[in-house]
Amino acid sequence: MSPTEETEHLGQVLESSKDIPLIALAGAPNSGKTTLFNRLTGLRQKVANYPGVTVEKHVGELRSGDQVLADLVDLPGIHGFSARTLDEKITKDVLEGRVDGLKKPDAVVIVTDSTRLENQLMLVEQVLELNLPALLVLNMADELKGRGGSVNTNALSEKLGIEVIWTNGRTGEGTGAIIEYISRLKDNDFVPSNDIKNPTTAHKLPVLESFSKRKEAVKEAVSDAEFIPPEPSAVSGFLDSLVLHKIWGPMIFFAVVVFVFQSIFTWAVPLMDGIELLIETSGIWMSEILPDTWLKSLLVDGIWAGVGSVVVFLPQILILFLFIGILEDSGYMARAAVIADRVMYRIGLQGKAFLPLLSGYACAVPAILSARTIEDDRDRMATIFVTPFMTCSARLPVYVLLIAAFIPNEPFMGTFLNQRAGVLILLYALGIAAAIMTAFILKRTLLKAEPSTFLMELPPYRLPSVQSLGLRLLDRGKIFLLRVGKIIFAVTIVLWILTQFPRTELGPPEIEQSALGQIGHVIEPAIEPLGFDWRIGIGLITSLAAREVIVGTLGTIYGMEAADEESLDLQSALQESVSFPAAIGLLVFFAFALQCMATVATVKRETGGWKWASFQFFYMLALGYFGALIAFNIF
Amino acid sequence: MGSEIKVAKNSSTDLRLSQVQLDREVELVSIDLPDSQAEPLFERGFLPGCRICPVRSSPSGDPIVDIDGSQMALRRETADCLCVKALRDLKGK
Ligand SMILES: Nc1nc2c(ncn2[C@@H]2O[C@H](COP(=O)(O)OP(=O)(O)O)[C@@H](O)[C@H]2O)c(=O)[nH]1
Ligand SMILES: [Mg+2]
Repeated sequence: MSPTEETEHLGQVLESSKDIPLIALAGAPNSGKTTLFNRLTGLRQKVANYPGVTVEKHVGELRSGDQVLADLVDLPGIHGFSARTLDEKITKDVLEGRVDGLKKPDAVVIVTDSTRLENQLMLVEQVLELNLPALLVLNMADELKGRGGSVNTNALSEKLGIEVIWTNGRTGEGTGAIIEYISRLKDNDFVPSNDIKNPTTAHKLPVLESFSKRKEAVKEAVSDAEFIPPEPSAVSGFLDSLVLHKIWGPMIFFAVVVFVFQSIFTWAVPLMDGIELLIETSGIWMSEILPDTWLKSLLVDGIWAGVGSVVVFLPQILILFLFIGILEDSGYMARAAVIADRVMYRIGLQGKAFLPLLSGYACAVPAILSARTIEDDRDRMATIFVTPFMTCSARLPVYVLLIAAFIPNEPFMGTFLNQRAGVLILLYALGIAAAIMTAFILKRTLLKAEPSTFLMELPPYRLPSVQSLGLRLLDRGKIFLLRVGKIIFAVTIVLWILTQFPRTELGPPEIEQSALGQIGHVIEPAIEPLGFDWRIGIGLITSLAAREVIVGTLGTIYGMEAADEESLDLQSALQESVSFPAAIGLLVFFAFALQCMATVATVKRETGGWKWASFQFFYMLALGYFGALIAFNIF
Repeated sequence: MGSEIKVAKNSSTDLRLSQVQLDREVELVSIDLPDSQAEPLFERGFLPGCRICPVRSSPSGDPIVDIDGSQMALRRETADCLCVKALRDLKGK
């Protein structure tokens, strides 16, 4: 089983295999494309019961024994080709062969949810207009038949002019027919034909007419094929009467959100502590057995610390995505988006922003990727812009250190809440407030627009499958380690190099004399008004790799200055060199500032340039700076 | 795509989807929105002549409708722009 190919590598992979046919899997969101893709390729690609979760196109090989039959591309789900969303653009470009390094697909396998055949055929019509050889897959055969629906595939095939087959993505029934179709493509004498007899010209008409024309064709097709729609699912109806109930609905919503947060702390924190301990002790162990050279310093202080600072977040991210996965796969996330829409809409966002914002509490990078499901460009932009204000897991170690050092462990509001917990909650609230304010302003200025059309499809509730949840976690973990890991790793090494120069005859310089220390001194005038000295300055710079790196940096600086190296002492060292108001300012700074190069890089990719990425970075930096300034002066 | 032409409002009916009672199936007459905002609706089958049936409302009072066997949630504001006509008094699905 080959590993998931990242989109960037896609070009090379396929360029080198020109004679192997390329088959695209296309269809509406939630029709089962990814499930079938995984079945066909054995490739790890996440599956979800939330419209539009395929956020990157994935490629895999379809093998028959040792032979590679075809390369398969799993495309994001779309409703049409108006190219309003990034997903639609990607899909259209791939199908028309306009993606660099990716050849035009030799055929398209159109996957449909057969329980909603009439709805799905609208898209099928649009795909057929591209005149690619096509196979129509009626997926969810089990559900359609189970609820008393049926369709005559021969008649449908006749009508549409393409082959039609049944599948059940859950069990894999029918996938053999897809493989057979594809292997026939390899024989040169087999030329699959589309409905060449009446090439549709619908796409050349004005918008409404073109859709009306397609609709007519769909109506004819379903009536010719004697389509009997299934009975509505009784279980889904019952669950929706609870989940979307006027009173129960919001209560369930709230309970779910609280539960997810609770789990991040109660389950993930011990795991994270464990990993941290493991990295620390193995680092110490390494430094004991390695000879005392610069190589040891690079390995232990540079590489190992860099790896460690990435890996500690994995438990929290995986646990959060496990819950998000269950919510998506079961179908609840779509309902949550509907419930959240009203409030989000007032702020200037929309219901589909709920998923990215929730994911943002683990890590902004995958969260920003999941904003692709938002159809309206401006809504999507606003969502991407405010997502990093959510308190991601990298802020926690910083908060925890500063709170432990500066906030007394005393009751607050009676015995109800501890002062430290109170401050932590305030910091979360600060992030939310900044997000709300920013979205509100953005949607009235730069991203001002006609209200968008919010449409959310509510799929039937389904039991999440363990396998699909496992695949999703693997996928999320990979995205996190690759995207975030690469950058944190690189920045950590650069920072390590900066601590090694200029060399003295005794080896590396004192940290204050090192290149990094000098940079700290250079920015000192800028941060002096906030009550920070050059040490915090260095911490602020290193935390650009990832926020929590400041903890290690400060530990190193104070540790190098004082002879004894006890981690407990970092707190008292901080208390001595940082004043209380400055510490509060530092907390505020971290609540606002975008101290995360991985996020900046992701925003740049997702918005197609530096414009938004740099604007966001400087906006958040300014907010952090002035927030800290105000805090420093009032406390 | 950039066309500003609005879909003609049908003068014979003033009924909007937002006013339709639950479980009462109606027929869509026209969409009173510019093409750019109406296109997502077209894509999901909201086209003149199609049948729509409000099946429930969200906690915030926004409609959830059944269209071609799919359940679709939309905003009141959008439903306000969908001109519909009553089909017949139906007992619901
Ligand atoms: N009952 C049933 N569920 C299916 C079938 N195929 C896929 N699913 C489920 O439908 C949901 C959406 O599938 P997914 O592959 O993510 O759809 P995509 O959005 O088109 O990629 C998942 O919960 C799958 O487990 C099927 O044939 N029968
Ligand atoms: Mg998918």
